[in-house]
Amino acid sequence: MILDLERFQTQARPRWSSLESLLAVLEGRPDHRMNSVEAEGLQELYTQAAADLNRVAHGASAPELRQYLDRLVARAYAELHYVPRTRFEIWQPRRWLRIFTVFPETFRKQSRYFALAVVITMLGCALGGLAVRYDPAAVDVLLPADYLRNPEQRVHEEEQGKHQDLHSAQVEAAFSAQLIRHNIEVAMLAAALGVTFGIGTALLLFENGVLLGAVAVRYTQQGFGLFMTAWLLPHGVFEIPSILIAGQAGFYLARILLRRREDRDVRRSMREWLVLIAGMSIMLVWAGVMEAFFSQYHAPVLPYGFKVAVAGAELALLTIYLLLIGRRKDDAEAHAKVHSESA
Amino acid sequence: MTGSETIPWATAATLTIATPEGVLFRLPLASPASRLYAMLLDIVIVLGTVNGLGLLVYLIFAKAPGFGVMVITLAEFAIGFLYGALLEGLWNGQTVGKRLLHLRVIDHAGLPLRIEQAWVRNLMRVFDALPFAYLVGGISSLSSPLMQRFGDRVAGTLVVRQTPLAAPGEEFWTRQKYNSFNDYPPIAMHLRRAATPQLASLIQDALRRRNELAPYARREIYRNLVAYLQSEIAAFPDELVEMLSDEQYLINAAGVLFGHQRLSRLRG
Repeated sequence: MILDLERFQTQARPRWSSLESLLAVLEGRPDHRMNSVEAEGLQELYTQAAADLNRVAHGASAPELRQYLDRLVARAYAELHYVPRTRFEIWQPRRWLRIFTVFPETFRKQSRYFALAVVITMLGCALGGLAVRYDPAAVDVLLPADYLRNPEQRVHEEEQGKHQDLHSAQVEAAFSAQLIRHNIEVAMLAAALGVTFGIGTALLLFENGVLLGAVAVRYTQQGFGLFMTAWLLPHGVFEIPSILIAGQAGFYLARILLRRREDRDVRRSMREWLVLIAGMSIMLVWAGVMEAFFSQYHAPVLPYGFKVAVAGAELALLTIYLLLIGRRKDDAEAHAKVHSESA
Repeated sequence: MTGSETIPWATAATLTIATPEGVLFRLPLASPASRLYAMLLDIVIVLGTVNGLGLLVYLIFAKAPGFGVMVITLAEFAIGFLYGALLEGLWNGQTVGKRLLHLRVIDHAGLPLRIEQAWVRNLMRVFDALPFAYLVGGISSLSSPLMQRFGDRVAGTLVVRQTPLAAPGEEFWTRQKYNSFNDYPPIAMHLRRAATPQLASLIQDALRRRNELAPYARREIYRNLVAYLQSEIAAFPDELVEMLSDEQYLINAAGVLFGHQRLSRLRG
């Protein structure tokens, strides 16, 4: 305890007050960028306050003063080292619309994680399909819902218009919203489960694949392959890739966490993870709308051929979007990288 | 300077940041309990908003309840996700609940929260909320030295306490005209040398909270403190101590530890 605390405080209080006033002004104007005079003033007061904090920390038993200086220095440090985006930048519509080009770019950039998600889902499909094909007892276990177990009854009911009362715009709208919400929640969980180093994501994708494979084989076995295709594909061509992209995000997150801390470009990786989730969510909104308003109509209202054709067109558009949008930029970046390496 | 390398580490409920300039400062971490209370407040606010909106939608869509259900389902979902992400991202790392409880989410390097970090930590709630009542997030917070749930670990964020602080003013024991302890310079010097910062702070707190303590509790606390100081730290002569009340003894001790006269008097 070497410090004459009162004299010290009396001498230092004016500069602490100046720093507080300056910080209050700067914090109250988040859109304001400091000019060089303000920056120099802040730097000087910050340095003095940091020195004062150092003296108090090592030379006086004044916990309240230390807390106060800790807070003051922390605020000044944040103001000096952090450049926030201005509100103007945040609310620019063009900035948000960029998601439509950034999403396919990110999808392609991290495509190996998508491939991994596809492989795991396919393994699940194969297991589910084979189990139903060769072990009839597996049907009860793998397909818990009655409508999945008895395709004949389901197809009959649908084609006879037994669920006609559900086909009103209002019911479809409510159904669509519930589907969108449920699907996005499941997909987000798949992406967040990356925090389990990808194990949770892999299990979720595998389970999804098992169910998909079991349903496909069950319906095809009983001769309702076309019905199933026309029933599932119009929304499935968006829904299934969305879940796979959620898996891609999950594996990407696992990769980020597994990388050594110093190797991580956390900020960029985080942005890419968010872009994948945002893109996948938009796809699921479309899938929910299609499932409620289109997929639930069957022949004779909507011929199966027409439904399959619509699904084919959707798939083609989605493929073009994911594989080609922003491709020129990718090429330019690759070209620049090669140039810089050769230089 | 945003890419500057900082070295954070945590002790009991405190994060210490070492900046590239060699400056060290501490930030008090929010306890899991205070975070829970803030979250409960936020849940009440979100539920209130959703229910209020539900009533409005019910009135607007009275003749088309299906569309009403659609609006409510999507709004409830969107508000649940956007509430935390948007408020924390744009409102200084705070939701309403956090602001009321003086908590704030910051970057683990002591810098303000970035928008993408706010999104990541809030999207990760789907995992932290598993299997029910934020069990995974709670266990993660309790087991982490920085009290981070998984969302915080992924986003590189943490929650700190931010109670408003003013520069400490002068205490009355620093302005005493006469302090009988200063008549015994060697013992007073020994008191100053032997008293730990924690003990000095304890004496100060005991005096400051004089009027908050019940008379019996105050007597007991002061008596124990005096006994400890006399027996373990610096024994002033009995004839002096007998003349002083326990409270006056502590005021004198605080005067020696914090008072401005002490150097000149002791040297004199």
